[in-house]
Amino acid sequence: MDYRDGVPATITRRDTPIRLRLLAALTAAAAVVLLLALTLVMISVQDRVRVIGREAAPRAATAADLYFALSDLDAQVTRILLAGDSDELAGSRVDALGAYRDRGYQADHDLQSFLSSGAGEAEQATALRLMDSLAVYRQRVGQALAAQATVAPTRAGAVAPDALGYYTQATDLLHLRLLPDAEQLRRHSQSRLDEAYAQKSATETTGVTVAVLLGGTLVVALVHLQVWLTRRFRRTWNPALVAATALGLLLPLAATIVLQAQSRLLADGRDRGLGPYLALSELRALGYDAAADTGRYLISAKLGYYRDDFVAKSACLTGDPACRPAAGQSRSDHETVTVAASTRGGLPQLAGTGATDRWAAYRTVHDRILGLADAGRTDEAVRQLTGIRRGDAAFDFAYFDAAVAAATEARERDFDRALRVAELTLTGWSLLPGVILTVVLALIPLAVRPRLAEYR
Amino acid sequence: MRLRAAAVATLLLVTGCDAPTEPEEPIACATGSATGQGSSAQTNAVNAWIKAYQIACPDSSIEYNSTGSGAGVRAFLSGTGDFAGTDTALGAADEQRAAARCGTGPAMYLPLVIGPIALAHNVAGIEDLRLSPPTIAKIFSGKVTAWNDKAITGDNPGTALPATKIRVVHRSDGSGTTANFLRYLTAAAPSDWPHGAGSEWPLPGGLGQRGSHRVTDAIARTDGAIGYVESSYARVTDLAVVQVGTSDGSFARPTGHDAARTIASARVSDDLRLDIDHAAAAGGAYPIVQVTYELVCRNTIPETARSFLIYAASEAGQAAAERAGYAALPETLRNRVAQAIAGLR
Repeated sequence: MDYRDGVPATITRRDTPIRLRLLAALTAAAAVVLLLALTLVMISVQDRVRVIGREAAPRAATAADLYFALSDLDAQVTRILLAGDSDELAGSRVDALGAYRDRGYQADHDLQSFLSSGAGEAEQATALRLMDSLAVYRQRVGQALAAQATVAPTRAGAVAPDALGYYTQATDLLHLRLLPDAEQLRRHSQSRLDEAYAQKSATETTGVTVAVLLGGTLVVALVHLQVWLTRRFRRTWNPALVAATALGLLLPLAATIVLQAQSRLLADGRDRGLGPYLALSELRALGYDAAADTGRYLISAKLGYYRDDFVAKSACLTGDPACRPAAGQSRSDHETVTVAASTRGGLPQLAGTGATDRWAAYRTVHDRILGLADAGRTDEAVRQLTGIRRGDAAFDFAYFDAAVAAATEARERDFDRALRVAELTLTGWSLLPGVILTVVLALIPLAVRPRLAEYR
Repeated sequence: MRLRAAAVATLLLVTGCDAPTEPEEPIACATGSATGQGSSAQTNAVNAWIKAYQIACPDSSIEYNSTGSGAGVRAFLSGTGDFAGTDTALGAADEQRAAARCGTGPAMYLPLVIGPIALAHNVAGIEDLRLSPPTIAKIFSGKVTAWNDKAITGDNPGTALPATKIRVVHRSDGSGTTANFLRYLTAAAPSDWPHGAGSEWPLPGGLGQRGSHRVTDAIARTDGAIGYVESSYARVTDLAVVQVGTSDGSFARPTGHDAARTIASARVSDDLRLDIDHAAAAGGAYPIVQVTYELVCRNTIPETARSFLIYAASEAGQAAAERAGYAALPETLRNRVAQAIAGLR
């Protein structure tokens, strides 16, 4: 009797086409499962990246922008009141009125974007509360300006008692209700962003596992078929199966590389772009608010609270440990935001020494202006506060703000670039597994058909 | 590992190379300081330029004193400052004094700040109000006294206007805004405005207010009021503004774009003085416009002042002026001004 591989040749011949078909079918099934799983994973990762780039990150940026717009809104009201009816400061007043109008629109737009961006119930409730408080704030500001307009022409820096009363209500409302609510929205959106990153990370892990396990299964099946054919039919290599095996190896390898590459890109984008961008937006808002304290000190007839508030905000801007709460000491929501940005190192870490030096220059002008006010030289204090010569407050603040704005925009561009590259890296990967595995599926019958033909 | 690194590098090479972003036009900085004084109408634009220039050029400082055109020019003629802001051209005698001040030839006009003058109003129930030049002249001369006058209803067919008394608000101080508005009335409605031009309001009555900010406040608190202010004042206080009739029967709004169209059709002299034909504005061009010049010495300008003015005439400088509430210069005129500044020594 003739034997093949220890098995009677007659039995082998009868059994071979069945086994061949079975092995080919199992290999094809492995390819189909890999195709479906990999396509699903890649679509899911693309969707997670979209959620981060088009929903979670813009929402966090909107919350940061809202915080900034509200901070500057109050700073502009301070400028309007400070200019009073002065002819000299008429230009400054119209500029501040324009900025107040624009910042109000910006805050409205941010809130509208927030409400229409799929925010959760808690966020929607906070946004609605903010809209309500903003209406009251504007009413108080209107009352303050009307009260200021009803008195006889005032010199710059002199605010009528009624106007000061309404303004105090307005600025308290902003600092005690509006900014804490804006900070709550910021924290909500930051949590959503973190969740989006975590979900994407989990999907990537699944993707890599799927690629390795199912890709490995397909390659093992292809190699097994190759070896079996080689032994059974005494052939060396089946070219179609070699090509299918190469593709089967390439696909999971490429998928793993792509998943890891985009993951690294987006992680870098968050660490070097988005995170610092959001922190810098907070610090920029804080800078505007702190600078407004210089004006608030003048119009409030030298209220010590604004002197101390400036010092506290300045500490947060420069990353000074004094910004952080002592053990057992609680902080308001509004203060938490600055602490969060400050713990990132404040301006020195986030915007460099240039911006820090410029803030130090502003702080020097601030101290000089308060000194002038304390000495009763209000006119000179107002002149130095509104002047735009080097060494005047308005210019030194603009000089500082330009440095922070440049750093903020650079970080934003870093994240945008990382997001764009990550999206480009994933481009086509919802179709690519299908194309490659269709070729693999076509190569399998091509490989086994000639051998099956020997049994017809 | 090497394969993976190569694959990542390839992926990044293919997908990670962004087109470089267009860099903003850099400012050609000079070292030192420069000073100017004059027109208050251009103060916010000049201040915006000063901030941007000083931020970009740490070794230079610019100062501008908003003294009004007359005082600014007088100071310039007596040798103070490197440039003067003025809303009117010099008279013949002052031209000679300017040439003497400059020493090496006549002074030069650089039209750098333009903008629309808006007719802001406070009329119950009316947001969009159209007024033809004769009607505007009749209102400001006191011939039309109620908002439902047939001259006004004729310009606004189908609009129900109230019988409220018209209260004209004008500047009580001499101003370039008044001069430009009166120049417009004289040119666009000569038969209805026989009161001439000048920087002082020529008629008695009305609510006279010192400064555009007080004119704006007066309009805002007075039912039935109408007055003329730089359009930025009306914009920031959300006052309704008039659509002004032009020679082809259309009506134009006081936007920077439409004001620039009127400026673009102005005749420009060799020394860059603009001759605006207010009566000829048509096709959506807004006819009531204001132009202010920087008066400089052609051959003896300090490098810092020249560098500053080059920035002011650049696209970035004009964009900054636009953000400050003015209009950007039309491109053809901007190029002529930029070339003129480049030729200053």
